[in-house]
Amino acid sequence: MTIVPNRLGVKFNLKREPAIAAADIVPIFQRWIQEHTVDGMLIDVIDYKHVPEGPGVILIADEGDYAYDFSDGQVGLHYIRKRNLPGILSDALLLAFRIALGAALCLEDEAPGDIEFDFSSAKISFLDRQRYRNDPSLYAALQDDLSAILAEIYGCEIALERAYDDPRLNFALRVSAQSSSVDGHKLLARLSERPVSVQ
Amino acid sequence: MNTWKEQLADQIPAEMGVLIDTFEAQIELRKQGKLDEKVFAEQRLRKGAYGQRYDNGQRHDGVRTRELSYPSGELVKGPDTLWDAPGMQRIKIPYGGLTAEQLEVLSELADEYADGILHITTRQDIQLHYVHIDDTPDLMRRLAAVGITTQEACGNSVRNITACTLAGVCHDEVFDVSPYADAMMRFLLDHDDVQDFGRKFKVAFSGCAGHACGLVKMHDLGLLAQTREIDGETKRGFTVFVGGGLGTVPQQAKVLADFATEEQLLPLAQAVSRVFARLGEKKNRNRARIKFLVSKLGIDEFRREVQEELKTVPHDDRHTAYLDTLGDFAYKPAKAGMALNGTPLPDGFSDWYRTNVYHQTQSGYSTITLNTPLGDFTAMQGFQLAEIARRYVGDNIRLSVEQNVVLRWVADADLPAIYRELCEIGLGDAGAGTIVDITACPGTDTCKLGIASSRGLTAELRTRLIERINLLPDAVRELKIKVSGCFNSCGQHHVADIGFFGNSRRSGNHKMPHFQVVLGGQWQENAGSYGLAVGAVPAKHIPEVLEALTNRYVAERGNDENFQTWVKNLGRKEIKAMLQPYMKLPSFDDKPGFFSDWGDSRVYTIDDIGVGECAGEVVSLFSLEIARAESAHFEALLALDEGNYPLVDQQAYKAMVLAARALVRTKYLDVGDDYGNIVNEFRSRFYETELVYDRFAKGKFARYLFKRHDQPPTQVGEDYAHQLIDETQLFIENIHSAEQRINGVIVS
Repeated sequence: MTIVPNRLGVKFNLKREPAIAAADIVPIFQRWIQEHTVDGMLIDVIDYKHVPEGPGVILIADEGDYAYDFSDGQVGLHYIRKRNLPGILSDALLLAFRIALGAALCLEDEAPGDIEFDFSSAKISFLDRQRYRNDPSLYAALQDDLSAILAEIYGCEIALERAYDDPRLNFALRVSAQSSSVDGHKLLARLSERPVSVQ
Repeated sequence: MNTWKEQLADQIPAEMGVLIDTFEAQIELRKQGKLDEKVFAEQRLRKGAYGQRYDNGQRHDGVRTRELSYPSGELVKGPDTLWDAPGMQRIKIPYGGLTAEQLEVLSELADEYADGILHITTRQDIQLHYVHIDDTPDLMRRLAAVGITTQEACGNSVRNITACTLAGVCHDEVFDVSPYADAMMRFLLDHDDVQDFGRKFKVAFSGCAGHACGLVKMHDLGLLAQTREIDGETKRGFTVFVGGGLGTVPQQAKVLADFATEEQLLPLAQAVSRVFARLGEKKNRNRARIKFLVSKLGIDEFRREVQEELKTVPHDDRHTAYLDTLGDFAYKPAKAGMALNGTPLPDGFSDWYRTNVYHQTQSGYSTITLNTPLGDFTAMQGFQLAEIARRYVGDNIRLSVEQNVVLRWVADADLPAIYRELCEIGLGDAGAGTIVDITACPGTDTCKLGIASSRGLTAELRTRLIERINLLPDAVRELKIKVSGCFNSCGQHHVADIGFFGNSRRSGNHKMPHFQVVLGGQWQENAGSYGLAVGAVPAKHIPEVLEALTNRYVAERGNDENFQTWVKNLGRKEIKAMLQPYMKLPSFDDKPGFFSDWGDSRVYTIDDIGVGECAGEVVSLFSLEIARAESAHFEALLALDEGNYPLVDQQAYKAMVLAARALVRTKYLDVGDDYGNIVNEFRSRFYETELVYDRFAKGKFARYLFKRHDQPPTQVGEDYAHQLIDETQLFIENIHSAEQRINGVIVS
């Protein structure tokens, strides 16, 4: 199974609740647009912090959106690649993972010591119910392939599980590196060495 | 099954499938430059696919205006509207009624095609934002498979038909208007007589005169339930209002008919539509709503026109057929009604119960309103809510014009349990319908016309008011606040106790976001009167203005004096004096924060305001109809590529008939859909008169249609298919030329 979904999300959670307020993310994302801090053709910032466990504050871009996200009751950086995904699933995952990682590190730089991500785990969302229905049989069929791809991304053994049992929700996985610690900068440096061609 | 089209083929009603396929073909034609951008824009709008802010490829980032280099380059989906720019998809939810399954599909779409948020509008629609135009056909198919359409959600046609959320469960209603709203929606949807309007047309139903829910007096066409004794029998019917509206020139609707029976309802709506299409302004979009026509003619002359038009409305079985199925419009509660007796009450329940629960006319049942912040909820909340609905209320979900989700038919005994579950998913806030439950349009967040941040201000006011809601006197708690980002009034600021609409002022070399304060509008009596604009205040002063107003109201109001009366008695001059201290403009150096809008850290600018699409494009009826013919021709070409020759024949023939129909309808609106009638009318009106004759080829191209119509092929091979495709193309070109000769240059 190597079909690339229409949209692919990668979310890294924070290690702990930060002191910085969601409202303070708005000017950060606005400045990222001015300074072109992260990847993509950056368009606008939208504020949904009034919605409980919602997408929080989103930096909208043409290719993919960056959200300071509160879904699943956990604060994190959620990157959703919407367009120009590579035609091979391993490349698509690598690209989304790398961009999400880069943005999360940029956000850490905005509030050193306060915003701190746990890069040893991530949620991967396949936003395409036509090709990726959230059912156990699909997971069983894909588990080995996806584990191999994600192990290669992390460069170590990983554990994989479905994020949601509810068949109505999107097909999403939680991946955890079986390593004592994962350094985001080193991981990004290693992943950046691998070429990925987008469509 | 590789596509949604294949997967859902059996679930999509045929007519809806054709409309979506046609739109998908038009997308391809537009990409190939074969469909005019204005014609495509109007087609797109009529599918609910709207433009969004910055879709002209420019955005001020707080320092400078920056070009947004979308990958599709110069390709546009309408004037100054770049193809790849994210757009908004409006989804019609007639009278706000939803099933649990529909809510789940809407949530899937928000998750996969938008930003994960479902937004409830002031017309009971759902809007998804940041949607790519290429995703819209599949999005529409998935909706169609569960009985939802986006057809005519925008553009110059009949918009979502609204009705009271309490219809059918209300103590005050004359009768349940829901089935009538449903019938009118079905009847007018894609109807020939609503295709040639100069502007949009909004319809609302209300079950009673006194309460607000239906707001019929601010609508183009408002229907207020009434009964009359006729020949000893109680007959249902409606008082019919026409020509109301908000916007820059708000007008109260006039009574067109004191009482129209239920049998007269649909023909009357059709006649009004035909008069509006025939006599309404088409060129000046600022004066094209029906309220201007009613004002220009006067209600008596308008009524006479409608009465004359009624005589020409062709017989249609659908005018009364729906009356036979009114009884089918029954509500199925998930549980038996049962009183709330002795169940332990969770914390916070009493406050919620006081503001969010309405006891239905049916014993043992309540309707609950979910205080939905800024009308937004997440896809995840949508799934959770659908699950809660299934267990407690079945398919009895509605959306309100105050941008809330409403669950009806909750057994009273279940209220504590459902409250607990709503709290768990973040939708258990008290205060529905109170001062904290503020209505707001999208404003500068996503709207091209937005001048100030209506949602930013609303979020700020909401946060501050929630903090001290328990300290507010009842008289203040009951006030309604509504906010629009500009004067167009999508936030319905005219009918709030306290309304705001965005504008701007200059201080030194900088612009400053402002809100005009509008006081004393009346929500009750179906939007009974509109508020007074009393002055523009810097956006950052609005929270103080609100506090000053409410404090003085509480201090000075007489016994039981309501806000409207207090405002009226105080007078515009005194109110202006009260606002004066807040109206002073600080300099940029003194208060730089005043030069940014609420929720937006950028230095404020009005450079991002674009051209709105609310008015749709002024495109002739012929242009719209011939575009359908060209889409069918395109479908024929696709079928040719696939080697499906019978389908080529079917689509090419359809394309020729639709092209002929486009020309016939310039002279004879009521030609209908029957292929035989269309060909006969075309033959007698345009062929036998030689009006369609080409200068050199004479009637040759028209005969291509007659040949296919009179002698359908018994076998369809490749050669025949190629020839038919070519002949269809020539016929369509011939129709274009003829129309220009006969009717002058196409308005586009």
